Amino acid sequence: MNRLIVSRTFRIGERLLGCHARHAGQEELRLQQRRSIKTHCRHLAYAKDLFLGQVNKAEVFPYPEIGNDEVEEIKQLVAPVEKFFSDDVDSAKIDREATIPLETLQGLKDLGLFGIMIPEEYGGLGLSHTIYARLNEIIALDGSIAVTLAAHQAIGLKGILIAGNEAQKKKYLPKLASGEHIAAFCLTEPGSGSDAASIQTRATLSEDGKHYLINGSKIWISNGGMADIMTVFARTEVEVDGVKKDKISAFIVERAFGGIASGKPEDKLGIRGSNTCELSFDNVPVPVENVIGEIGGGFKIAMNILNSGRFSMGSSCAGMIKKLIELTSEYAATRKQFNKSLSEFGMIQEKFAMMALNAFVMESMAYLTAGMMDRPGVPDCSLEAAMVKVFSSEGGWICVSEALQVLGGLGYTKNYPFERFVRDCRILPIFEGTNEILRMYIALTGMQYAGKILTGKIKEMKKGNIGLAIGMVGKKLRTSLGASVDLGLTGKDGVVHPSLETIVDEQLVLKRVADVLIHMYAMTAVLSRASRSISIGLRNHDHEVLLANTFCNDAFFKNNYWMVQLQKHSPENNDANIKKIAKQVLENRAYICSHPLERTY
Amino acid sequence: MKGSRCLHQLKSLRLLSHAGRRLPPAAAAAGDNGALFRLHSSSLLGGSQCPQREVLRHFHSSPARTKSQPARFVQEEDKTRDKSLVAHDDLFEQVAKETKTKATFNKVIDVYTKRDIRRRGHVEFIYAALKKMPEFGVEKDLTVYNKLLDVFPKEVFVPQNFIQRMFNHYPRQQECGVQLLEQMESYGIMPNTETKVLLVQIFGEKTHPMRKYQRIMYWFPKFMHANPFPIPKQLPEDPVDLARFSLTRMANDWDAKVTVYQLPCTDITDSGAEVTLPHIVGIQSPSQMEALAKHNPCRPVFVEGPFPLWMRKTCVYYYVLRADPAPPEEKIEEPYDPERCFMYPLQLDLDLDRDLGDDESFDVEDLDDGPVFAMCMTSQGDQATLNQWISGLQQSNPILGQIPTLFRLGAGPRELQGVGDTDSASGTWFSSHAHKEEADPGEDAEAVVEEEPRRSQGVKQ
Repeated sequence: MNRLIVSRTFRIGERLLGCHARHAGQEELRLQQRRSIKTHCRHLAYAKDLFLGQVNKAEVFPYPEIGNDEVEEIKQLVAPVEKFFSDDVDSAKIDREATIPLETLQGLKDLGLFGIMIPEEYGGLGLSHTIYARLNEIIALDGSIAVTLAAHQAIGLKGILIAGNEAQKKKYLPKLASGEHIAAFCLTEPGSGSDAASIQTRATLSEDGKHYLINGSKIWISNGGMADIMTVFARTEVEVDGVKKDKISAFIVERAFGGIASGKPEDKLGIRGSNTCELSFDNVPVPVENVIGEIGGGFKIAMNILNSGRFSMGSSCAGMIKKLIELTSEYAATRKQFNKSLSEFGMIQEKFAMMALNAFVMESMAYLTAGMMDRPGVPDCSLEAAMVKVFSSEGGWICVSEALQVLGGLGYTKNYPFERFVRDCRILPIFEGTNEILRMYIALTGMQYAGKILTGKIKEMKKGNIGLAIGMVGKKLRTSLGASVDLGLTGKDGVVHPSLETIVDEQLVLKRVADVLIHMYAMTAVLSRASRSISIGLRNHDHEVLLANTFCNDAFFKNNYWMVQLQKHSPENNDANIKKIAKQVLENRAYICSHPLERTY
Repeated sequence: MKGSRCLHQLKSLRLLSHAGRRLPPAAAAAGDNGALFRLHSSSLLGGSQCPQREVLRHFHSSPARTKSQPARFVQEEDKTRDKSLVAHDDLFEQVAKETKTKATFNKVIDVYTKRDIRRRGHVEFIYAALKKMPEFGVEKDLTVYNKLLDVFPKEVFVPQNFIQRMFNHYPRQQECGVQLLEQMESYGIMPNTETKVLLVQIFGEKTHPMRKYQRIMYWFPKFMHANPFPIPKQLPEDPVDLARFSLTRMANDWDAKVTVYQLPCTDITDSGAEVTLPHIVGIQSPSQMEALAKHNPCRPVFVEGPFPLWMRKTCVYYYVLRADPAPPEEKIEEPYDPERCFMYPLQLDLDLDRDLGDDESFDVEDLDDGPVFAMCMTSQGDQATLNQWISGLQQSNPILGQIPTLFRLGAGPRELQGVGDTDSASGTWFSSHAHKEEADPGEDAEAVVEEEPRRSQGVKQ
C-alpha cells in the first residue's frame, strides 16, 4: 500500500517536473499577478498540508524569484562581503586564538552585516530573508563570525524586532544595526534546555513598581561576554483568572543596568572564535518599559524567535559546501596515484557527486523557504525552516567529513582548513534546537494540524453533513485513482489514527514521519527549482535536472523504506529491539556484553 | 584439543605407573603396603586373616584381570562387602580422629588406594567418602573429587566390544561414578579436564558417567551467569560492609546513596558499664528523596521491620521507611501546560472523542503499594536506634521534621543473627507485627507531632 502511495508521489513529481518545464512560464506570470494583488494574510502552508496529503502546488511552484532591482542589490552587496571574507578574515587565526580581532569585527560593522534585516528606518539594511540567506552563504565561510552574527541578529535582537514596541525599536535598533551594541539571547539555563517549566531565573517587580529585578543565571550564551543588549527570559508572577501563576516574560536588559557578570568563555570544539559564556544576573534592575510584548507573554516570543532564525542554515551550509568542493576538487585533480589522478577513482567521484547534490538540495530548500517568508502577510514557515535546518545540518556534517576524507591524512592536519570546518560544523545539529527536538517539532506540529482538521471533519460527518461525507468519499476515490498524495498518516476513511493520543511518546515513529516529510519538502524544493531553471533557461540547467532526478530517486527509495518501516509488524522495523537494547544498556549504565576472551570453564 | 592432549599425557603417565606397580609384585607391594595392611587387618579382618590376604594379592597382579576373580575367594569377599560400608566409615573415623580437614581426607584416600592394588570395595569406599565429604569440609573441592574418582581402577570398566557397549557395562561402578558427579553438581562444582580424562580412563567414552559429565558441562556454563544479581561466594565479614552490599543489592538503583549513620563501636561509660553502639547503615536514592519531599506532611510515615533478607546462608534484617499510598483525592496530575516546551508540543491537543465500542483500554487492576522512602540495616532493631537513623535522614530530608513518624516494629533481630534459630524468631516477629498493626495510628500521630521537630525520642505504640 505505502509503496504504491510513494511511487505515486514520485510520479506526480515527475509529471510536475515535465509539465512545469512547459507551462511554468505562463503559470508564473499568472501567479505573480495574483500575488501582487493579494495583501491579506496567507493561510496556506505547504509543509503542514503535506500531513493532510495535500500538495499546495501554488505555494511552491514556481520557485520564488526576486525582482531585478534586488538582483542588482545583491550584486552590489555580495562583492564587498566576499572580498572582505577572502582578504581580511583569517579564519585559522580566529580559530587558533579563539577570538575575533576587533578590526575584523569593525569591518563587519562597516559592511552593515550587524543589521541585515533591521528595517532601514532603524538604521539597518532592511533586506529580505532571501538576501539575508544569500549573505549567509559567504558569512558561513567562517563559523565563528557566522555564529556571532547569528546570535546577534537571528536571535539576539529578533525579540525587539518582532515583538518590541515602537519606543523599544527606536531606542535599541539603530545602535544594534550599526554594531555599536551587540545583542545576545539568554534562554538556556543549567537546568533548562527546552523545558520552560524549569527556568529558574526570576523577575520580581520592585516595590515602586517601576523596575523588575532579575535574578538567576544563564548558560551557553553566544556573545555573552561582549553583548550590551540582551533578550532575557525570566519567570514572572502573573495573575490569571485570580490565580497567581508563574509565566515566562521577555526583557530587554542592558549590560549598563549593572549586576550582570559574565563567566569565563567556554573552550569549545569548534566555532572557537565565537564568544560563549555563562551570564549571571544579580538583582539587575530592568525598567518596566523594557518588557518585550506583555508580561507573561515570553513563551510565544521565545518560540517565534527560535522558529524564525533557522531557515538560513540551509544557505550557510550550501555556501560552505560550495567552497569545500572548490578546495578539494583542486587536490583531487592534481594528486596522482598509480598514474591516475584521484578524480578518476569512482569512490572519490562519489564524494563530489554527493557534495554537489547536498549543496543543491540545501540551496533549493533554503531559498524556497526564504522566498515563502518574504511573501506578503505573515506566512507561517516555521515547519519549513525546521526542515531546512535538520536537512542541512546533517548533510553539512557528512559533506564536510567526506571532503576531509578526500584529502586523507592531509585533511586531518591543521595545515588545511578541513579539520576546522569539521569542528565548526559539528555544532550545527546541536544549536538552534537539536535535530532530535526539531524532528519532534516537525512531526508533532504537522500531526496536530492535520489531526485538528480531520477530527473536525469527522464531527461534521457525525452530525449528518452529507455533503461533506460525499466529498470525503469522492476524495477517497480520487486518492485511489492517484490524484493526490496520501502519506498514510490517516487511518480508514481519513480518520485520525486511534494511537495518535500516545504518538507523542513514540519518538522513533515520529522521527521517521519527520524524515519522510523533510525529504518530501526537499524533493519539492528541488523539483520546483529545476523546473524553473529549465523554463527560463538558466546556465547548466541540465545539470540541475540531473541533480534533481538523482536526489528525488534517492529520496524516493528512502521514503519508501521509512514508510514500510512505519507499517505495523513490518520486518524492516527494529524499533522494539532497539528500545530493548537501549533499556538494558541504560539500566546497567555500561556496555554489558562479556568480553569475547572470557571463558566459563 | 587441550582436553585430548591432557588425556594422552595422563594416560601415558598412568601406564607408566601401572607398569611400575606391576613389576615388583612381591617386594615393592608387600614392603610399601605392609604398614597399611596392619592397620587394615586390625580394623577389618582381624589378625588371623592377614597372611591369607597377603597370599591372595599375588594372584591378581594385573588389574586387567580383576574381573576373573577366582571363585574360591568369593566367600571371603562377600564377608568383607557386607561390612564394608561400616568399615570404610570406620576408616575415615580412625584416620581423622582429631581433625577433619582436607589433608586428613586426602590421607584416607591415600591409605585406601595404597592398601590394596586391586582396590577391593572401591565402590563402597567412594560412597562412604562422598557421604563424609561435608564433614571434612571438602564438599566443594574439585581436587578432592578428582582424587576420589582416581580411586576407580583404570581401563577395567571400559567396554571392549559393541555388546558391552550396548548393555550396561559394570552398572554398579557406573552408577557410583554418576553419583559422584551428581554430588559435585549439587554443590555446584564444575568438573575440569582432569575429571574428564579420569572418566574416559575409567569408564570410556559414551558411558553413563561420561554422559553425566557432558550434561554438566553443557548446563553449568549456561547457568553460571543466569543470575543478574550475583552474590559473591564470600560475603563481606564486616557487618557494615555486608549491610552496604545488601542494601545496594536491594535498592538496585545506581543513584542510591549509602550512608553510614553510625559505625559499630564499644564504649565504656563513666559508671563502668559497657555500651555497644550498633551500626546503622541506610540507603536512599534521589528519587526517593524527591518523593519524600512531596509527601503530604499530614499523613504519617512508618518505620517498619525487621524484614529478613537471605544472602546465601546469611540472614540479614532491614527496615524501611514507607508511607501508605496516597488517597485518590491527593493524587493531582499535573495539568498539561501548553507553554511548557519551547520547541514542540508535548501533547497533541486533539478533540478525539470515540464512538461506542471504540474504547480500547484494558481493565487493569492497579494495586498501589505505597512509596518506600528509604531503607536501613542495623544490628540493633530497637526504636532508639532507628530513631537515630530517622534523625540522620532528617539532615538530608528536612521535611521529616514535619511528618509524624510511626514505628511498627516486630521482634528485633538481635537473637536472629545465627542461621539456626531463625525459624522461631521470624515466627514471633510475624505475630507481634500483626498485633501491632491493629493499633490506631491517629493517636500516635498527634503524640509525635508534639514532639517534633527534635526527634529525641520516638513514639512507641
